[in-house]
Amino acid sequence: MPDLSIGLNCPACGGAVSVQEGEGVLNCQYCDSTLFIEGDKGVQTIAFKMKVTKESAIAAAQGWWKKGFKARDLKRTGKIIEVYPIYIPFWSTTARVAGWVCGYEERRHSDSKGNTRVERIPKEVMVLSDYRYSEIACDPGDLGIRTLRNFSGERSFADFEMIPTFETTTSKDVAAKDARSKAEEWGREQANVPHVTFERLYVVPHNMSIIYYPIWVVRYSYRERMYMNTVDGVTGTVLSGRAPGDPLFQSLAITFGSAAGGIVSGAGLLLAAFSEADQNGAYFAVGGFVIGGLLLFGTYRFFRRGSEIVEGEFSDKEGSAKTGLGDIKQISQTLSQIGGRYP
Amino acid sequence: MKVIQVKCPHCNNPIKMKQKDLLFYCDSCKTIHVRDGGINVIDYEIGDFGRNAPQGDRIYVPFWRLYCSFTIKNMKVEGGGLFKLSNWVKGGAGTGGDIFIFVPASDFDPATFKRLAIMLTTLPPRYNSRTDFNNVPRLPTTMSREEAAQMAHFVVITMEAEKPGTLQDLDYTLNVNDARAVYLPFLTSPQGLVLGI
Repeated sequence: MPDLSIGLNCPACGGAVSVQEGEGVLNCQYCDSTLFIEGDKGVQTIAFKMKVTKESAIAAAQGWWKKGFKARDLKRTGKIIEVYPIYIPFWSTTARVAGWVCGYEERRHSDSKGNTRVERIPKEVMVLSDYRYSEIACDPGDLGIRTLRNFSGERSFADFEMIPTFETTTSKDVAAKDARSKAEEWGREQANVPHVTFERLYVVPHNMSIIYYPIWVVRYSYRERMYMNTVDGVTGTVLSGRAPGDPLFQSLAITFGSAAGGIVSGAGLLLAAFSEADQNGAYFAVGGFVIGGLLLFGTYRFFRRGSEIVEGEFSDKEGSAKTGLGDIKQISQTLSQIGGRYP
Repeated sequence: MKVIQVKCPHCNNPIKMKQKDLLFYCDSCKTIHVRDGGINVIDYEIGDFGRNAPQGDRIYVPFWRLYCSFTIKNMKVEGGGLFKLSNWVKGGAGTGGDIFIFVPASDFDPATFKRLAIMLTTLPPRYNSRTDFNNVPRLPTTMSREEAAQMAHFVVITMEAEKPGTLQDLDYTLNVNDARAVYLPFLTSPQGLVLGI
C-alpha cells in the first residue's frame, strides 16, 4: 500500500493513526476504535517505484528502432539527445459490469442456384465481469500515452521528490463518469451481439484512485529531425514512439500494392466476362473490383503515411504506417466477410 | 478532513471492529447503522447455524435482502416450446409478483456473486434468527443499499434469461419496497461457501 498518508490522532486514545487518501473508515491500531473520515476524503494515491535504469530505457528504445518498417539505418544514425524520467498520473478504478444483452445474429447461406437465405440466430449473453479502467489524468501532450497497461509493481513514494511529476488536470467526477460509460461500452463489446433487441447493463464502480506511474522519455535525432520514445519505468517496455519511415518500403509498397490491386480487379472482370450465364460471374466482377480497390486504398495509405512510423496512443496518428497496416487488417476482415457472403 | 470515533447512535458506545465495513455493528446494544450522508440505523437479521455445522468453518456472509414487486409487462422468448407448453398447462408462467432478492453485499468474484444471488433468490433460505454473531467472524459489507438495488435488476433478468428459450425482449418493472441487511450462516469448504443452516 502507498505511504502517502495524513498523520492524525485517534480521537479516542490519542494514538497516531495514518489515513490513506480515499479511505472512509479505518481502525485505530492501539485501541481498536472504528474511526470515520468526515468531509472530503480525497482520492487514494498510489505511486509505482521506478525500476528501470536510464541505460535500460535507452536499450529498450534502440531495440524498438530495429522493429517494423522504420528507417533501416536508424540504429546506426539515430542519436540520443536526452533521456529523463517523469511521473504521469492516471485515474484508475475497477467496476463490476453486470447485465444481459439479447438479440440475434444473421447468417447468410447461398445454395448452388445462387439463392440466398438469411438465418436469424437468437442470442442471449450474460455480462458479469470486473472492468479495469485507467485514463491519463493530465494533458499527455505528445507522449502517446493515454491508458495504463501495467498495474503491478513495487509501490513507493521514495522517488517522488526526485522525479518531475505531471499535475493532475482532470477531475475525479469526470473520470468517474468516463469510467462508467467505458465500462458499459466494454460490457457491450464482451457480449458481442450483432443485432441487439434488449440490453440492460449495470455498473457498480469501486473507489477511484490516482496512480503515479514512472516513465522514461527518450528523445533522439535522425538526420536533423527530432523523434521520441517513452519507456515504461516499471516493466521496461516501449509504450509509444515516433520514428522515421523508410522510402524503400514505401516504394515497394506502392509498386507491388498497385500491381496486386490492378491484377485482382482485372482478374475479377475477366472471370465475369468468361463465366457463361452463370450468376456467380457478377459476384466475381464485384468481388474482384472491391478487393482490388481495397488493396489500392491500403497501399496508398501506407505510402502516404509511411514517412513516419507512429506507435502508441496518440490523439492524431497522421503519418503512421501502422495505420496503414491497420487498414490492411481491416481489408482482410472485409475480405473474409465477402468470402462468407460469396462462397 | 476530520477523523471522528464511530459511536453507536442508539447507546453511544464506541464501535470497535477489526475490519473496514460499511455497516457499523454495536456489540453492546446490537444496533447496526450506516453513515451514507447521515447516520441511519438499519434493520438487519442474523441467521442461526444448523446444529451440526462445524464450529471452525463458520462465517457470516452479508446480503442485502430486497423485498421487491416485480411485474413483467412484455416478454419475448425464442424457442423453449416445451417449457412454454408446460407453463400453459399449469395455468400460465405468471407475470411477476412480490419476491425477495438476495444480493451478496461483500466483495465476491463474479462467479460466486452470481451463484449466491441466484441460489438464495430462487430458494429463499429458512432460518432461525438470532440477535448477535456469537463470536463467529463475518465478512465486511462493501456494497451499499443503492448499489444492491441496481444489482437486483441483474438478478431478476438472469432468472428469466436462464429459463429455457432465448430471451429477446423483457419489459418489466422492479420496485424495491424494503431493503434489509441479512447475515446468513455459511461454512467455508474446499468447494467454496456452503449454506450452514
